[in-house]
Amino acid sequence: MPGLLRRVKSKMFIFAHRRTLTLLDGEYGSVFKGRSLDFDELRAYVPGDEVRDIDWKATARHGSPLVKRYVAVRRHSVLLLVDAGRTMAAQALSGEPKKDIAVHAAGVLGYLASRHGDNVGLLQGDTVASTYIPPRQGEEHLERLLQEIDAIAVDSPASAIAEQLDYALKYLKGRLLIVVIADEFMPDPRAEALMRRLRARHEVLWLTIRDADLALETGGRSQDSTDVGTGWGIPAALAADATVRAAYATAMLHRGQQRDAIFRRLGIAEEQTTGSEDVLPAVFALLEKHRSGIRAARSAGKGGRSAG
Amino acid sequence: MELSYWWILPLAAAAVGCAAWLSIRRRPQKVRHIAHGERLTALPAYQHALRQYRTRLVLAAVLGAVFLAATATAAARPTHRSTVQPEIRNRDIVLCLDVSGSMTSTDAAIAAVFQKLAGEFDGERIGMVIFDSSSVQLFPLTDDYHYATEQLTQAKDALDSGAGSFFDGTWNGEGSSLIGDGLASCVQSFPDTADGSPDPRRSRSVVLATDNFLSGEPVFTLEEAGALAISKNVKVHALNPGDLDYGDQPDQPGVQLRATAERTGGTYFTLDSPEAVPGIVQKVQETEATSYRAAPQAVVADTPAWPLGIALLAGTGMLVLGWRLDP
Repeated sequence: MPGLLRRVKSKMFIFAHRRTLTLLDGEYGSVFKGRSLDFDELRAYVPGDEVRDIDWKATARHGSPLVKRYVAVRRHSVLLLVDAGRTMAAQALSGEPKKDIAVHAAGVLGYLASRHGDNVGLLQGDTVASTYIPPRQGEEHLERLLQEIDAIAVDSPASAIAEQLDYALKYLKGRLLIVVIADEFMPDPRAEALMRRLRARHEVLWLTIRDADLALETGGRSQDSTDVGTGWGIPAALAADATVRAAYATAMLHRGQQRDAIFRRLGIAEEQTTGSEDVLPAVFALLEKHRSGIRAARSAGKGGRSAG
Repeated sequence: MELSYWWILPLAAAAVGCAAWLSIRRRPQKVRHIAHGERLTALPAYQHALRQYRTRLVLAAVLGAVFLAATATAAARPTHRSTVQPEIRNRDIVLCLDVSGSMTSTDAAIAAVFQKLAGEFDGERIGMVIFDSSSVQLFPLTDDYHYATEQLTQAKDALDSGAGSFFDGTWNGEGSSLIGDGLASCVQSFPDTADGSPDPRRSRSVVLATDNFLSGEPVFTLEEAGALAISKNVKVHALNPGDLDYGDQPDQPGVQLRATAERTGGTYFTLDSPEAVPGIVQKVQETEATSYRAAPQAVVADTPAWPLGIALLAGTGMLVLGWRLDP
């Protein structure tokens, strides 16, 4: 069995400098590590740590920045909520299968979590069934999760991320860090309601894998497209038609704006990745966004309280 | 319409079938798997483009089929088989013109009528004889109409001017305007077969233009010449420029001429009669008993024009469509 996790790791080290990885570590730590008032230790500052965690007195004494570490409230559980329908077997914007990008993104997140000693679980599924693998620790477990995600095929059942959201709401207790990995899914009112409830109960991050450009300009050899959902073809000649492309671009722009509005309304940090090379920056940006979102919410809450 | 190589058609159909089968079998080509195609296909612009694309494809398919069918048909060599029964024209006409002094005023007009006659006849042999006291053959029986017309034009010009060498040889006899002799000469100018009997397959007509004013002692009287004509199976069509008869007495020249002509089975017209030319033409052409048709012949001719024309049109259409279909 090929080591999916090893592949993810090697990709991480190819595409990212060490500095970036450290940054990512710090980012993850500041997002997911809970804080308590119990002081644990002082350690050297790594970029990505919250500046407000710096112990300035200790730093002044020591000569280099030191941050305070607190004993975590409890061990966190990260749940990877992955769309496993057949649409995920289709092409992403980069031309890779979306599931490969999902595997990579899940691998990166799982690896970060396991480095921090967190548990990683998986909830994936389609219209027919949802599979839940409870959060556990260890790279073997992570490898198993990645294998599950990798099993998505063109002949899998259709996607229905709302079902998995519903499943998580119904059966999963306790506060989780849920990272949703899906394609450019447009939440309908039901899904939006589920997302709002999920957001209220858990920490939700949303990593979107960009779908393939359907109206491609034909460069050299043009390929016809087949919709994995319906099995219908899209002739390359039509996809390359200038008016069709213009209309598609307008429609997609509008759609993107709608999605942005929904996620902003829900207060869910959402970031998009076009391909596996783009996963690391996307994950970084997602964590950053989520952290700033939390801070904004927290400060807004504080402000509201003081005003009230 | 029939095909020389009909077996090309099933062959072509089989080839088309094979090609279609191969192309269907080769169908699983590399395609892009994409999701959420409805984001594109639901767009009105796409629907519109799809309709156009479909129409063009259908049109291209139809044109391709037409092209294939037309070229296959052309390859099968379509031929048109027809039976042709060539009609053999076998009428001989001698134009017989009296150039005596009494006719000088009307001869030019008669020559014009002869010209018209020569133009009306088609496929017949025409000859011309002029006579006064002796007769001269202007041109023998010929189907060279160009030559005949040329001669008639010359005759008309000479008759208009009334002078020149045109009339040479017409005054060798005794007297003038010897109509009987002239008619006899005309009758004699039809060629006989080897045994001296007239060729039964050819009809013979004489168009005799005379006023029948006799002055002199002819060798043949008009009646004798008429009898000769009957014996030689010649029909005499008389054309009288000036019917100046007094009454219907049988000794009047016009009546004599009419009697002679009608005895031979011919007709009698005055020159100013409007039906003279069409009447004579019709009478001559009515001698159908002696015209006959040759044995029917089957003629097979290639007719590649229309399948190739259709193929050309369809091919042009396909080129235009291909240019439009190619993005």
